[in-house]
Amino acid sequence: MSHADTIAVRVVAVEQVTPQIKHFKLAAVDGSRLPAFSGGSHIIVVMRDVDRVHRNPYSLLGIPGELETYEIAVRRMEQSRGGSQFMHDTVQVGSTLEIAHPVNLFGLSKIGRKHILIAGGVGITPILAQMEDLHQDSVPYEIHYSVRSPEHAAFLARLGNRAAERLNVYYDSSGDAIDFDGLLSTQPLGTHFYVCGPAGMIQLVLAKAREWGWPESHIHWEQFSAPPAGEAFDVHLAKASLDVHVVPDQSLLECIEAAGVEVPYLCRGGVCGFCRTDVLELDGELIHNDHYLSDEEKASGRVIMPCVSRARCRKLVLDL
Amino acid sequence: MLVTGIKSKPVYTPLAPDLTGRYHLMLGHGVGREPLLRVLRDLRVAAPESGARTRVLFVGSPDEQAAGGEQFRAAGAAEVRLFGRPDELLTDFQDVLTHSFMGTRLYVAGPESFMGLAMRIARQFNLNKDEVRAEECGSAARRVYCIHCQTATENVTTNIVQCKDCNRWLLVRDHYSSRLAAYMGVMVDAEAPGERPDVKEVFP
Repeated sequence: MSHADTIAVRVVAVEQVTPQIKHFKLAAVDGSRLPAFSGGSHIIVVMRDVDRVHRNPYSLLGIPGELETYEIAVRRMEQSRGGSQFMHDTVQVGSTLEIAHPVNLFGLSKIGRKHILIAGGVGITPILAQMEDLHQDSVPYEIHYSVRSPEHAAFLARLGNRAAERLNVYYDSSGDAIDFDGLLSTQPLGTHFYVCGPAGMIQLVLAKAREWGWPESHIHWEQFSAPPAGEAFDVHLAKASLDVHVVPDQSLLECIEAAGVEVPYLCRGGVCGFCRTDVLELDGELIHNDHYLSDEEKASGRVIMPCVSRARCRKLVLDL
Repeated sequence: MLVTGIKSKPVYTPLAPDLTGRYHLMLGHGVGREPLLRVLRDLRVAAPESGARTRVLFVGSPDEQAAGGEQFRAAGAAEVRLFGRPDELLTDFQDVLTHSFMGTRLYVAGPESFMGLAMRIARQFNLNKDEVRAEECGSAARRVYCIHCQTATENVTTNIVQCKDCNRWLLVRDHYSSRLAAYMGVMVDAEAPGERPDVKEVFP
């Protein structure tokens, strides 16, 4: 995906919805309707900071079909690499940004007979749009939303207005926790669940689901990993005949892009598999941080997802 | 004349226990008894505690029912239900699915047409490929759907068959509809009335 494919947008509203989460509404600069999307979709927001470009994925939380504006919510990350801080500190009403077209890697099953939506914290964002999709339908669904405390519970009013009788909220501060055994042990056939939240929560849900015999085709989860920082290393791009130095606080993908080489991507969070790149030579080890490659592929040392993964190596040659 | 390599033709593979499942539901018809017994025995070796969550629905002749009932229980099935007619079994199967939980794995063994009807019901409950295993055994006779009058002719063993309803001569294709649980039958002599290939038994 190249910059030519992005859409210029203007921020038309900003609201601080919890101490850590800001809610943004974006409209096309040229006033046109934005591309259609389905519940669970995300966009990449391109932020042109002073000395670098951030490209972060954010789920669309608005009503699919209402395309005058897109809505996203951004949580300020404690160890931000700059993207969420930029959104919180620099972006205001009137700011312009670029976005990539929406992509859905977390869509609802069209043939499911029941849907269970599970969110932790800001993971409620794709669930909100899924709820809107399900609201149009007669298939039963329920929402389980876990947050630290009432002041951190974003979008409660919106959830309550649409799905009060289907909504279950759990506050850590009150000692509430989702009873995953209860939730997953007695669901009727044809049920699908969707979980978005912190890594620990997703790992727990997936482990419980497997314990209760859920097959992979009924399990849906999404977690965008921020590219972890690491040691600097050097990479050679074979087709471009370029040497690129990867600095500690930027991803391999970002450094390749900064050198002027385009790599196809959709999510930039180790989920979609689009930036999968062949490793031609390696003297050292790859540090895989994605959720896409199989364990065998990771162990082979022949392939890497440059959006989130790095290397600790003397030499690395990529097929780019 | 028959087009081969059509992707919709169901592919059945020998049954083996799926240890990722929590509940095991087995459907058998006639000689489908043997594969199910094999799964039950393998399951008991690999996961002895799963026997309590194993249920068998079986249709066969009175002799097959008598022998099957005893063998299934001896192989570790917690519950065995026996039927004399496939439609009785399939009605009960729907009822069982309505009350089953996620985590159930389905195993089906029997002749072609029984498989198709059972799979159609499983599909209505959104049981996906990773929840269903099926092994074909016994007759390969097909249910054939006349695309002209939209009725199904049962137990077709030949390449060409006369539709039981509209009497057109139909070529039996490999093109399969899982929604209709039938292979498509297309009029074979539409362009040259009366000119038909020889009728041969191809689905014994």
